[in-house]
Amino acid sequence: MSGDQRPQGLVLEGLERRVGNNLVLDNLNLGVAPGECLALLGPSGCGKTTILRLIAGLDRPSAGSIHLDGVDITEQPPSRREVGMVFQSYALYPHLSVERNLSLGMELRGLPRDRVQQQISSVLELLQLTAQRRRRPAELSGGQRQRVALARALVRQPRIYLLDEPMSNLDAQLREDLRAELRLLLCGGPQPVVYVTHDQQEAMGLADRIAVLHEGRLQQIGTPRQLYQEPANLFVAGFIGRPRINVLPAEAGRIRAIRPEHLELVEEGGLEARVLVREWQGASQLLQLDTPHGRWRMVCPARLEVAESARVGWLPKRELCFEAGSGRRLAWRNTA
Amino acid sequence: MRFRRLAVLLVLLWSLLPLVWQLYTSLRTGAALVTPQPGLAGWTLENYRQILTGDPPFWRFLLNSTVVGLASTALTLSLAIPCAYGLQRQPAGTRAVISGVLLAAAVFPYVLLFLALLEVARRFGLANHLLALSLPYAGLSLPLAVLLLGAAFRDLPPELEESARLEGLNTWQRLRWVLLPLIAPASASTGLLVFLFSWNEYPIALTWISRQELLTLPIAIARIAGSSVYTVPYGAFAAATVLGSLPLLALVVIFQKPIVAGLTQGAVK
Repeated sequence: MSGDQRPQGLVLEGLERRVGNNLVLDNLNLGVAPGECLALLGPSGCGKTTILRLIAGLDRPSAGSIHLDGVDITEQPPSRREVGMVFQSYALYPHLSVERNLSLGMELRGLPRDRVQQQISSVLELLQLTAQRRRRPAELSGGQRQRVALARALVRQPRIYLLDEPMSNLDAQLREDLRAELRLLLCGGPQPVVYVTHDQQEAMGLADRIAVLHEGRLQQIGTPRQLYQEPANLFVAGFIGRPRINVLPAEAGRIRAIRPEHLELVEEGGLEARVLVREWQGASQLLQLDTPHGRWRMVCPARLEVAESARVGWLPKRELCFEAGSGRRLAWRNTA
Repeated sequence: MRFRRLAVLLVLLWSLLPLVWQLYTSLRTGAALVTPQPGLAGWTLENYRQILTGDPPFWRFLLNSTVVGLASTALTLSLAIPCAYGLQRQPAGTRAVISGVLLAAAVFPYVLLFLALLEVARRFGLANHLLALSLPYAGLSLPLAVLLLGAAFRDLPPELEESARLEGLNTWQRLRWVLLPLIAPASASTGLLVFLFSWNEYPIALTWISRQELLTLPIAIARIAGSSVYTVPYGAFAAATVLGSLPLLALVVIFQKPIVAGLTQGAVK
């Protein structure tokens, strides 16, 4: 952002949204480069959909600014922002055919008919919807509806893509297939992509960077690897990574935590543990352990024989260490 | 199963028997109504001939009522749709207050207003103008129409309109291309209600219209019944009622399908 060159992509500065006395979004600062896919990840009610609606202009921020390709769009009406949005419910027009769903906006804006038709045809072909072009949304499968919603965002050639949990209504298999398709279609183009999800697997599989949100605050933004290896605080450590991280009780103002996959069986030291449940996962197994610190989770190779009672330990360098009050992570390596 | 059929039969008898009786009366001679006559004797179309060749002929009243009905319906819908759309976009508190006031207006017995309305008609020279009748009719229908259409708008998912906003459709375009087609079933049933009200309305039509050739159906039919001091012309009266119900039957038959289709479509989604 140096010199007179205007920053490309999306820049949010000091963005805030209040509804009544409720602070839905608190001082959000982040940027999304052209072609970058940023996932907004967090539990429901964390403010992630609010951010999308603010970018689209469907809600107004109480403070802060939104820049798209160097232009301040904070005060612009949604119609002028040229965003391509995919709603969680898809919001397809139920009374119109697939084709008309895509063309309505462009036709009413007065684009020449043959150009509209040409764009629609190429997008429908790209998304393998050509055979369905005359059908109505009610006559399509869930996956097809999702692709129509995507096609409607694509066909407008917007300056930014906003996707609100576009896959939450699909079954697991379809979701996995579409994840790759979505990445190929949207990411790497000239537009920034903002993708809202509560599914961390989806976020990790799709996004270049992930912004983790909690109670209207940005907790951390980084690559999936950074979030996993260097979580900024205890919330991120607990939210990213499945099965969930094991947390030790606070001790001298510090909380130590250790990921399930870093636990191992030891002869002495460590913790005494009793195996409660054994989940076989093919190559690995997930053990639910009863330890002096409560229920812990451990992931180890499937072939490892674990007795009813065992001792589990871990390498000190695998520990994550957090400040007890704030939950902030203290240092990458435990030096104690 | 047998019980259900019986119940359906009873309901049909209950609601259809008066109509059948009216139809029967309209096709009998006056004498045949008093003393039973065997076979084909006593059947006649004379009652229909009589009212259709009257001065003015009966179809004139049908036409009058149709004109007033269509004008009232058109006026009501064209005002109620924007109102309902606006109402639906108010904050919940404001909406509840406005809805309450509308409900109060909708249930107000309008007969109490007809003297005041008569004064209005006199003051503004609206008496004996057929189309002027649609002003009070639309006015009286509006509260209920706005409530019904408002509910229809509220049932639509808000993302539909938001999506249209993002695509650059202005308010009018969103209403015309996205929202109106989706509330068409509700508009049709609301329109039908308004038309029915206008078709049956008596006190205002009675006081606003005095010229014979401008009368609406209810007044015209009442005049047939009271046309003679010595007899009640049952046959002609029944014939007029039958003719007066036919257009309504036609309307319901025409609109039944879209209304039912619209209802079930909403239910499945």
